[in-house]
Amino acid sequence: MALLEVSNVTKRFGGLTALNGVSFSVGEAQIHGLIGPNGAGKSTMFKNVAGFYTPTEGSIRFAGQEISGRLPHHIAELGVVRTFQETTLFQELTVLENVMVGTHIEGKTGLVSAILGLDRKRQAAARARVMETLDFMGLTDRQDQLASELPLGSQRALALAIALASKPKLMLMDEPFAGMNPEETNHMMDLTRKVQASGVTIVLVEHDMKAVMGLCEYLTVLNFGEVLAEGTPADVRNNERVIEAYLGGTGH
Amino acid sequence: MIGLTVLFAGLIILPHFLAYHHQDLLIFTTINVLAVCSYRLVTLTGEWSLIHAVMMGVGAFTAALLFLEFDMAMWFTVPLAGLVTAAIAFVLCFPLLRMTQFYFLIASFAAGETIRLTWVEFVGIFGGTGGLVGVEPPIVGEIDFLDPIPYFYLTLAVVTVCLFLLYRIEKSRVGLTMHAIHWKAPLAESVGVNAWRYRALALVTGSFFVGIAGAMKVHYLGSVTPNQFGIGFMVFILIWVIVGGYTSFAGPVIGVIVLTIFDESIRSFEEVRPAIYGAVLILSILFLPAGLEGLPARLRVWFGIGNKHADPKLTEH
Amino acid sequence: MELIVQSLINGLVQGGFYSLFAVGLVLIFGVMGVVNFAHGELVMVGAFTVWLVHAQFGVDYLPAIALGVVIVTSIGIFMEKALFKPTRSDPLAGLICSIGVLFILQVVATLVGGDGPSKQVPPPFHGTLIFLDVIRVPTQRLFGLGISVAALVALWLFLTRSKFGWALRAVALDREAAALQGINTDKVSLIAISIGAALAGLAGTLIAPLTNINPHMGHNVIITAFIVTIVGGVGSLTGAVLASVLYAVFHTFVTVYFGGTVATICGLVLMVVVLIVRPTGIMGVRVSE
Repeated sequence: MALLEVSNVTKRFGGLTALNGVSFSVGEAQIHGLIGPNGAGKSTMFKNVAGFYTPTEGSIRFAGQEISGRLPHHIAELGVVRTFQETTLFQELTVLENVMVGTHIEGKTGLVSAILGLDRKRQAAARARVMETLDFMGLTDRQDQLASELPLGSQRALALAIALASKPKLMLMDEPFAGMNPEETNHMMDLTRKVQASGVTIVLVEHDMKAVMGLCEYLTVLNFGEVLAEGTPADVRNNERVIEAYLGGTGH
Repeated sequence: MIGLTVLFAGLIILPHFLAYHHQDLLIFTTINVLAVCSYRLVTLTGEWSLIHAVMMGVGAFTAALLFLEFDMAMWFTVPLAGLVTAAIAFVLCFPLLRMTQFYFLIASFAAGETIRLTWVEFVGIFGGTGGLVGVEPPIVGEIDFLDPIPYFYLTLAVVTVCLFLLYRIEKSRVGLTMHAIHWKAPLAESVGVNAWRYRALALVTGSFFVGIAGAMKVHYLGSVTPNQFGIGFMVFILIWVIVGGYTSFAGPVIGVIVLTIFDESIRSFEEVRPAIYGAVLILSILFLPAGLEGLPARLRVWFGIGNKHADPKLTEH
Repeated sequence: MELIVQSLINGLVQGGFYSLFAVGLVLIFGVMGVVNFAHGELVMVGAFTVWLVHAQFGVDYLPAIALGVVIVTSIGIFMEKALFKPTRSDPLAGLICSIGVLFILQVVATLVGGDGPSKQVPPPFHGTLIFLDVIRVPTQRLFGLGISVAALVALWLFLTRSKFGWALRAVALDREAAALQGINTDKVSLIAISIGAALAGLAGTLIAPLTNINPHMGHNVIITAFIVTIVGGVGSLTGAVLASVLYAVFHTFVTVYFGGTVATICGLVLMVVVLIVRPTGIMGVRVSE
């Protein structure tokens, strides 16, 4: 059984149909790519899976459970976490504090416990997880820096770290490679593989073809809200309709 | 730690050196510190509400009613006032927290004004514009808490405990989560944070503490009227928070103290006072956006010492 | 029956006045993104000017109206240049600045007029028009209604027919896009506040002979303006006018039977209900967060 099953999802905003009958499935421990020209509906798809939108039609099943229409934090508790386009971090908090927020699911505490300090054990466990994640992402040295002060590559790694700290089973990565130079791209690709190796399934929305072809085992191509093609990178690369969609003037 | 001890020692000796009128002022300032610090908790999640002053009034009216109708002593009215205020805040969360930013601001203003007008309208219970009078603090053995100095020590004790609790909350994981919602609520939600619950927690807890502040005030002042807790007082709270600064716990406290001293010094300009405050508000916003707490850093920049990028508030976003 | 009809008429006339300052508030918020908390005080200044200049110094009513409008418009322009423009990036800061102006204006009015009982302006138009033996409308009120309607029509023409009107609507819709198209958004903001303030000042001058004038009369104005703006739809001028009339009639009726305080409470509750159920109001356009 696939970990994530998107079946016939349609999303309409008033008169605009952003997604039309999109289906794909993602197997465990895979890296699945979701690509397509700008405006194809990739981010919209993510928002539907993560609970920020509710599909107008169709179903989304995660580990056999229907998750469409649930609230974002509920879906996160089930193990689905997304990262955001354009670096989204808690700018005025330190790197350590940023990742700490990521451990919310296991580390959260009630008001009384917080005041009385009864949650010491839980916070220590959360902190250990934070250090572990920082180490995994190579951010340990920067732990006391403010998120707003980090260079781009580290900021993206931090975004990944926050998501990772919540022990997700499925991670939706929204254009993590945007604006990166080749060196940063390679580093990020390594981190992504590392995350996959640790047992996390990944769905990747991305324009950077090097990253896409280098990381993804399977691709779904969207265009104008519909599935244009799917298959392995090799299949998709040579697909005429895909080539036409990208070269037809709507490319990145 | 040493600083705090010195501060405390100073506060304990202080009232003995002050004139009667200033002793009163000291009590009210201490109460206002609680009011403004509890407001800070509410704004921690990023939403500026305009209902806080009215909630202090809810605490005051509750304590007054409990005392006048049920002969309840202050030891009980104060905590109960806090709980009632928190309960009302909790009920209000359901309509109010459906909105954010501008709409939340206006809705909180409307809710506050509605409560205030209810006090004015239902004269039988709340006393109309005249309010309720005759509230008194207790007499314990030899100590009459109607006297300013005993009442000040009582207030100091209560406020200190409350501030300690507020501080603990802010520094705990709960406080961290509230901060996170302030900056990027969707990001927090994507890792499992129930934003609504934390906003509600901030509003309810902040209301609890300001309800206590209201109760403390009415037991000393002896009376409570709807006008004491209207937009006028709300603006004072805003001024204290804005002029003092709100990025640190101490900021609003600085605001209250500095502005209370300032208020005293312009006492002779009674008629013009609101206008002076209006000007203070405007000048603060335009020229001191980080508040007084940000002043040391700002001065360092002006005098060429220190790093401009150390204070994020100084750089335009 | 007579009471009902009379209340209806009174409500409609009142609705005309409400429309003037509600539309001004919506214009300022729509184009500049800032909530002008001092809007009620702008109305108050208009009323005070008429009292001072017409009732105290004997200037004729019409020039007094003109002067009131000019003064209030100038205040509005000052607010834009000194306060709203520098704080454009932070609307909350703009709001708080407007609260500062609120206090300053109240004090100025107190100093000018003294802190005694409310002032009265004897109505320049005497007499009452009687329709159908049942409806009595004082000529003064009819005058006020007439001017209000004329002003609103003029505004409508301006917004739909003139170049500036189009620019205003473009900026209200999408500030950045308008700027990219070469529209001078600062100039447009200036026009918006000028119109908004002028309408508020006009409302004040028209209300002056019909109500008690005191430095705190702005409080009720701003509450009414908020209620009407939200119920009518935050981005919508037509909604503001519609809501103004409906609310004015509603408020008048409730006041007759239950008193003014209850009427205002009902209005506030209605506003919160609208915010919950349909935040876009009667006619508002959906605002994306």
